[in-house]
Amino acid sequence: MDFTHYAPLWGEALLTILAVLIVLLGSLMKNSGKLMGYLSAAGLVAALGLVASNLTLKPALFFFDTISVDALSQFFKAVFLVVSLLVVIASLSKYTGKGADEYYALVLFATVGMMVVSSSIDIVTLFVGFELASLSTYALAAFDRTKKNLEAAMKYFIFGSVASAFMLFGFSLLYGMTGSTRLADIAVASLADFGPATLVALLFVIVGFAFKMALVPFHMWAPDTYEGAPPLVSALLAAGSKKMGFAAAFRVIIIALVALRMEWYLAFAILASLTMTLGNLAACWQNNVRRILAYSSIAQAGYIAIAFVVVGAAYGADPVNVLNLGMLPADQLGIAGALLLILGHALMKTGAFIGTAQVASNVSKESDTDPDDISNYAGLAKRAPITAFCMLIFMFALAGIPPTAGFVGKFVLFSSAIYSGLVWLAVLAILNSALSLVYYLKIISYMYLKEPTGSKMPEKNGYVVALVLTMLAVVWIGVFPEQFVNWALQAAAVLLPQ
Amino acid sequence: MISNALSLMIAIPLLGAVVSFFAGSKAKFVALLASLAPLALALQMYSEFDKTSKIMQFVESYNWVPSIGVKYTVGVDGIGFPLVLLSAIVSVLVIIYSWGETKKPNQYFALLLLNEVGVLGVFTSLDFFLFYIFWEVVLIPMFFLIGSWGGPRKDYAAIKFFIYTHVASLVMLLAIFALYFTYQNPDETRTFDMLTLLAATANKTIFPTSLLNIIFAGLLLGFLVKMPAFPFHTWLPDAHVEAPTAGSVVLAALLLKMGGYGLFRVIMPMLPSVDKAFVTIIAVIAVISIVYGAFMALAQKDIKKLVAYSSVSHMGFVTLGAVAFTWMSVTGAMFQQFSHGIITCVLFMSAGTIQHVVGTRVIADLGGLADRMPKFAVLMMAGFMASLGLPGMSGFVAEFMVLTGSYATLPTYTIIVVFLSVASTAAYHLWAMQKAMFGPILKKYMNVHDPHNYELFSMAMIIVLALVFGIQPGLMTDIMGTAATQLMEPVKTLTQMGVI
Repeated sequence: MDFTHYAPLWGEALLTILAVLIVLLGSLMKNSGKLMGYLSAAGLVAALGLVASNLTLKPALFFFDTISVDALSQFFKAVFLVVSLLVVIASLSKYTGKGADEYYALVLFATVGMMVVSSSIDIVTLFVGFELASLSTYALAAFDRTKKNLEAAMKYFIFGSVASAFMLFGFSLLYGMTGSTRLADIAVASLADFGPATLVALLFVIVGFAFKMALVPFHMWAPDTYEGAPPLVSALLAAGSKKMGFAAAFRVIIIALVALRMEWYLAFAILASLTMTLGNLAACWQNNVRRILAYSSIAQAGYIAIAFVVVGAAYGADPVNVLNLGMLPADQLGIAGALLLILGHALMKTGAFIGTAQVASNVSKESDTDPDDISNYAGLAKRAPITAFCMLIFMFALAGIPPTAGFVGKFVLFSSAIYSGLVWLAVLAILNSALSLVYYLKIISYMYLKEPTGSKMPEKNGYVVALVLTMLAVVWIGVFPEQFVNWALQAAAVLLPQ
Repeated sequence: MISNALSLMIAIPLLGAVVSFFAGSKAKFVALLASLAPLALALQMYSEFDKTSKIMQFVESYNWVPSIGVKYTVGVDGIGFPLVLLSAIVSVLVIIYSWGETKKPNQYFALLLLNEVGVLGVFTSLDFFLFYIFWEVVLIPMFFLIGSWGGPRKDYAAIKFFIYTHVASLVMLLAIFALYFTYQNPDETRTFDMLTLLAATANKTIFPTSLLNIIFAGLLLGFLVKMPAFPFHTWLPDAHVEAPTAGSVVLAALLLKMGGYGLFRVIMPMLPSVDKAFVTIIAVIAVISIVYGAFMALAQKDIKKLVAYSSVSHMGFVTLGAVAFTWMSVTGAMFQQFSHGIITCVLFMSAGTIQHVVGTRVIADLGGLADRMPKFAVLMMAGFMASLGLPGMSGFVAEFMVLTGSYATLPTYTIIVVFLSVASTAAYHLWAMQKAMFGPILKKYMNVHDPHNYELFSMAMIIVLALVFGIQPGLMTDIMGTAATQLMEPVKTLTQMGVI
């Protein structure tokens, strides 16, 4: 058997073996948490290296054409690996004791699941990857075993299962109608003939994905879960597992269900407008920082969903001269913008949640009040200057202020809306960005303008390293966006007819 | 000639900001050095500046993000250069004035330098993208200056300032995008280049009037809020009252000028191509700002709020001069920007000094301070005289030019301004001065004394400048006049535009 044939999948293989190894070693060795953490970090770096070594290769198909390694899958894998790596680095300061091996193993399994999803071009494989990631994160959400954790995990589990059920039901209808589980075959069959049942399938699939992506009105679980789960797990959920929803939705909806694009165009136009507006409005009234971040994450999902509207409006449109990128169709630009925003948002959110973890880890020692309450952020600039500064950059980046990663993604995405004639959507999105500043500014003003309520916080090394790395990446992408834009465009081309 | 002078001017304070942040109590020395360097560069540039040239000077241009057509392009002409010089002067003086700052001095001086970086960037950027970045950069240090060093309602004022002006900037950004997405270079590439895009707005086939009107309105709103003009001025009194003195000085002397700069750089070149009604709208806004600002100042109890409203009034002259569209009024309006930038410093410094020497700024509680603070009283008096338009000071020249120039094209508006504002302007200045500084000294103020020499020095330097430019306005108006001629070139008068 020729293993080099599978070289593009070595990353997944490596992480799977490592995760199993960690579980095994963890049961044999005592107090090996720290070692497991370093092992996981090393494994993730290696996997990232493997993914990075072939970022934009020609699509390669594996396992009876169910897995495709292409520019798009590599883009998402890079995002997931970076997020997991940052979370693991931060976790090195928290999960070191008993049971830490399970934590790292679960993070790795979740990462593998996400990677499988981003490569899947078959609905069964996709579902398996989805469940692998979901089950691991359900367990992670309850990892600290506090009452809040359990409630959050329960909620996440129930909603996640309902979403999976919807998705699976939609998939089964698709299979029944087309006789195939491969996305490309479904696309051909449904283009040839689609009846009312296809619409029902579309409805179920959209609802299933909308739960995962936390689009309004299917978002209710997200604030509770992000607030209640351990903060580092929230980072993984918001930045990783939620983006997995987009990875899956891009493939299933844009490739397999292209025949119904007028229908999902309308559905996503409504979902995107509702999500960004309600997400931002709701965030303005929150006083819990993690809830603010959760609602901001919902709003960002609304922006990202604009890509579906753009593709629906401009699918197969003639290439026009967009920006200075040469002749490109507007739909490709839209997906590229969404990918850039996914990349940027994954980084900013990971960073922001790690920041809350830093604060919570210090506050919860002092009192038994809600550690994420915004009053704990008063004077953070004095109590934890590095954390506060990184949070400041993340808040500005989330609001889309240049030159940060948040701006680049929004700029390309909103431009694509203009190119596809959706000026109203672009204007709504920009107005929403202005609105979002209200609550980001609230956090900033607490951190920098209020007098501190406690003594100086010890800033833990793991958190600091993860925060600074993330902050540098967010600024780097903002100042030198060129290569990232090109990369995202190549990834976007995978979804569209050549 | 120093190459890359403009980039150096922006880079040195930026570096200085970083160094002062880590310099602890030595921050003020770092800040002074880092702000003197741009001043030296600006003076050097002044000596080399070609006053008759109509093209951009000291231009530097590098590709930044070629895939979307963003370049790092900076350059100055008669519109931008006087404001660059103003920013360099004011930054130095405000740092000297704040010499005694003891609360987190490292952050304080770093923010002042960062502010200088932002305004210098705005006045020199020739790429809309770069321009917008600097435009936003300015908000951040000012937000922290108000929010960290401000008065009792600082949080409210800081957030109101940020959100109000940020929303206006976003509207402006939308308009910039509309320009960007409508215009293509002949080789079908996109560009953010300001001069190219602005020149293209004259082309009716690319920018039909209906579209251009919307773009124009968006840009105009962005600039009018910053100026600020009635009815978008409500953030200003709050921001000023709560801001620390240095923050107020920078806000009034430099940040407001960004709005005025936008009028000349962006609005005026587009004015001939948009709906004629805009001229009337802008003129009405200008007149209301002048008159309303003056009357509001008359009604204030807090001397700092009085000065804040006087800014609204004085900046109205900039708007009026720009929209009247004669050589005299436009040159005068540009000169008013420069002149108000200088004079307002001494006003806010006076208010700040009174606050920290006496402990209150409420005019009714003051009285007879001149008795105990003779040096300060002289400087404050000179500043107030300059502000009310005493001949011989720069403010008089500027407002005289605006009114004379505007009378030719907008006589009704000009007459309203003359009748309603000149007397009230004199009244509020004199009344405040008389009540606060003269008369019998109140018993509780027997122990007050002149402020520190560094504060007096900053104020004195400004008075000297106001006198120099009042007696010899040609030092600046020569440069501005060339720019005004350039602006008037496409359409000579409002008559040709069909407005009157």
